[in-house]
Amino acid sequence: MNGNRTLGYSMLAPALIVIGVFILYPIVGAFVTSFFADTPFAPRRFVGLGNFARLTGDDPAIGSVGFTLLFVAVSTTLEILLGLLMALVMHHTWRGRGWIRAAVLIPWAIPTVVTAVMWKFMFNDQYGFFNLLWHGNAIEYYTAWLADPGSARLAIIMADVWKTSSFAALIILAGLQTIPRELYDAARVDGAGAFRRFRAITLPLLRPAIVLALLFRVIDAFRVFDLVYVMTQGAPGNSTSVLQFYGYQKMFPEQQFGYGSAISVVVFLMIAVFGWIAVRMLSTRMHES
Amino acid sequence: MTNGRKIPQTISFTCYLRIVVCLPLLAASVSSCGGGSTDDGRTVVRVVTWKPDYPHLWDTALARFHRANPDIRIAREIGPQNSTQLHDLLTQKLRNRDVSVDAFLMDVIWTAEFARAGWAAPLDDRFPPEERAQFFAGCIAADVVGDGIYGVPFNTDSGVLYYRTDLLDKYGFAPPRTWPELVDQVDSILAGEDDPRLSGYSGQFRQYEGLVCNMLEFVGANGGDLLAPSTPEVIAAVEFVRDRIIAGVAPRGVLTYQEQESLDLFASGGAIFHRNWPYAWAVCRETAMAGKVGIARLPTFKPGMSTAALGGWRFGVSAFSQHPDEAWRVVAFLTSPEMQELFAVEGGKAPARRALYQDADVLGANPHFAALYDVFETATPRPRSPIYPELSHILQRFLHAAIADTLSEIPALAHQAAVAIQTAQARID
Amino acid sequence: MKRVGIICAVALVTLFSVGPFVWIVGASLKTPATITARPPTIVPDFATTFYETAFGEHNILRYALNSAIVAGTTTLITIVLAALAAYPLARLRLRRRGVILGIVLGASMFPQIAIVGGVYRMLSHWGLLNTYPGLILPYTALALPLAIWILTVFFRALPRELEEAAIVDGCGPVATLRRVFIPLAAPGIFTAAILVFIQSWNEFFFALLITTDPSVQTLPVGIAKFPGQYMVPWGELAAAAVVATVPLVIVVLVLQRRITSGLTAGAVKG
Repeated sequence: MNGNRTLGYSMLAPALIVIGVFILYPIVGAFVTSFFADTPFAPRRFVGLGNFARLTGDDPAIGSVGFTLLFVAVSTTLEILLGLLMALVMHHTWRGRGWIRAAVLIPWAIPTVVTAVMWKFMFNDQYGFFNLLWHGNAIEYYTAWLADPGSARLAIIMADVWKTSSFAALIILAGLQTIPRELYDAARVDGAGAFRRFRAITLPLLRPAIVLALLFRVIDAFRVFDLVYVMTQGAPGNSTSVLQFYGYQKMFPEQQFGYGSAISVVVFLMIAVFGWIAVRMLSTRMHES
Repeated sequence: MTNGRKIPQTISFTCYLRIVVCLPLLAASVSSCGGGSTDDGRTVVRVVTWKPDYPHLWDTALARFHRANPDIRIAREIGPQNSTQLHDLLTQKLRNRDVSVDAFLMDVIWTAEFARAGWAAPLDDRFPPEERAQFFAGCIAADVVGDGIYGVPFNTDSGVLYYRTDLLDKYGFAPPRTWPELVDQVDSILAGEDDPRLSGYSGQFRQYEGLVCNMLEFVGANGGDLLAPSTPEVIAAVEFVRDRIIAGVAPRGVLTYQEQESLDLFASGGAIFHRNWPYAWAVCRETAMAGKVGIARLPTFKPGMSTAALGGWRFGVSAFSQHPDEAWRVVAFLTSPEMQELFAVEGGKAPARRALYQDADVLGANPHFAALYDVFETATPRPRSPIYPELSHILQRFLHAAIADTLSEIPALAHQAAVAIQTAQARID
Repeated sequence: MKRVGIICAVALVTLFSVGPFVWIVGASLKTPATITARPPTIVPDFATTFYETAFGEHNILRYALNSAIVAGTTTLITIVLAALAAYPLARLRLRRRGVILGIVLGASMFPQIAIVGGVYRMLSHWGLLNTYPGLILPYTALALPLAIWILTVFFRALPRELEEAAIVDGCGPVATLRRVFIPLAAPGIFTAAILVFIQSWNEFFFALLITTDPSVQTLPVGIAKFPGQYMVPWGELAAAAVVATVPLVIVVLVLQRRITSGLTAGAVKG
């Protein structure tokens, strides 16, 4: 047994070393930097919790937090629901299933920077796809989606849901594939209808996959960056700025590494809270099954 | 237990795995080693640039340099032309005192930041006042920080007004001198034309750096200073844009336009007036608007205060370079009259050297440069500050929120921006 | 009735996923004159102008090749390391299993923007900037948490009997992993592989800062270099989107056949 334990740890070691060097060590660096004021224009100095205090009085930052939470809640919910739907469709299709899967994965496959530019192109008020759909050829009625806070937020959420539903679909599909067919056959023999089978067999056995997809979608939704960077830059005003984007603005264009790191720490804490909740849900289900 | 005999078997499998995994890494790292700083005896000067619009021009330029300077080899690190992205990748290197960067291109708004941060080397002894006098004063002023000069101008840029000559002639108008006059002309023309697809004005009002340029032109024309947003001149100018431009002569979509989209509208016949940089002149000549486009100085509010935002790029030498002399030779070459003429004639880039505006070849390829000489000479820079990126973000948020909402409380927003600006400036003093 | 329902659902799903992409393919086949037409034209001209520019002037093939090398190597290394790590986490009774899983997850929660600086400094220090390993190593680290979690969950869900049979046969952990788990957890493994590949293929910000030498730059950075100072080439970008997506579609078509019900596939062999 001891040999197994040592071997077990040594199997873990390569992965943990890579993660440790390239992620954990820089994370520690970022945590440390968050307690300093670090710009190129003055020597680095310790400010303790000063950066975090500054965050509480920073209106654009607080606005960003609001939209971040809205974005995470709405887009994650839609993505899981759509992902579930798409996974079921992919699972039950027999002819051309490869093509369906490839089709579903296309949104996830396109590089985000390209997606963002393309969606910007499609929301354009002169030659955009959505204006064509909505108003046909009457260009006098074409609207500028990204000019108003409400429609701009909708646009960003749409683009993200379109792109990442396939991620959830893929994970849920893999979960669907591991449910033994015998259970369905037995239930059918017992006379259970399709909906009953779905509720009693599929959903419970699918829960680990759904929660896994939810977990990683939440983590990624809190950290959304590329879409905002290319599509709106947080505009109009501050309405589509997410906290992570605001942190980027502080760290890179504005060269305020201490403050930017503090913002990243806050984002991390927000994710940690939600992630912890999701993990509890996952581990109780895993113990149950 | 069989563990004793099994472990060697499993360990060898794991070893095998590790070797399989490491081999590609080793192979890849060996094959893609970055070059050292001497290469077959020549000194390698690394220049960080953007991807050029005319790659063959740069190849020509570099070839000429290599012929004249056989002891130096220029290696280009090429980033996107997007100013923000180039800034991100360049500052990342300079923050880490990367010795592999010798020279770099700077946007007009970066010099103050790079100088104060100690990233750009002072060039005073290499770039004496007699030489500086050959460039536009505005370009030089952008590169002077404190007592020293930190950049050599490569090209220049400024905002100009484009207009539809056919429409203005039809209604007997001369290019407008003031913004209210422009609005009146638009009203007359639109009433006469009765074309629902024609709008009055196209500019760049998306929330990005270009918005600061466009608004600088309105605010400056009213005698205001962007860094003092609460002053009446600034507030009046912003109100004018909100009420007469965005909610008036321009389509609401301009709030999402950068240069490309705004030019698309004008070049497809959708706008009477258009604010853009000089590059648009050549683009218009290849569209349906060929022959119908005129170029003029931007209108003003107060007499004689027409303001055009200053743009353009310059070269700097890295303070961490191990070959500053060679780097300077590269910079001096690329900003020489011959090179600036090459880029002007074949690439349409407006040179930063004054004398080239009397050059027959340059004017032959770019006839509109003659009219633009005065505009370039008097172009107004954006606020010069080491923390300009932060100030720009504050201004962008303020300006966009102010002009996008017809019910915006501009004095209140301006006051918030003023406080934020003061706080930011206090932080570095 | 059920058949009609399924066909409708398939049509909707396909339309949703592929609709915007079809628009982009159409845009890539227009000409410079028609791509910014107001109102937009629905049927493209089937011109290849934009593709010619993308391949010729913008050299998109080189960037695609770099992306393929980086993403492919990252995926290979990540899956191997993740499978090795997931087995002990799923099956061996390690005392600190929960802590390790928590740390791994925590690593994936930290905003990547904040760690770019630290990673850059390390790579610079080791001379790995502008090299393939300079991207492969951080990408592997970024992909491992997801891969480890997916594989751990899938390994956990497998029945113990097959594994116990293998141990009785004298297999140590690695051999059990190889002979029992990997075939059975194939859906999870290939899912993880697809996701890791796509994530590495599309990563932008790290690549922007780490690779400034055009011979090593990946596709997202190459595409970011398409726009000129003021000009946005919608057509070439559309062509680039198509070129960037087609290899991924092929990878998916090839790998997705492996996402089949693992129990029927593996149990008989073992």
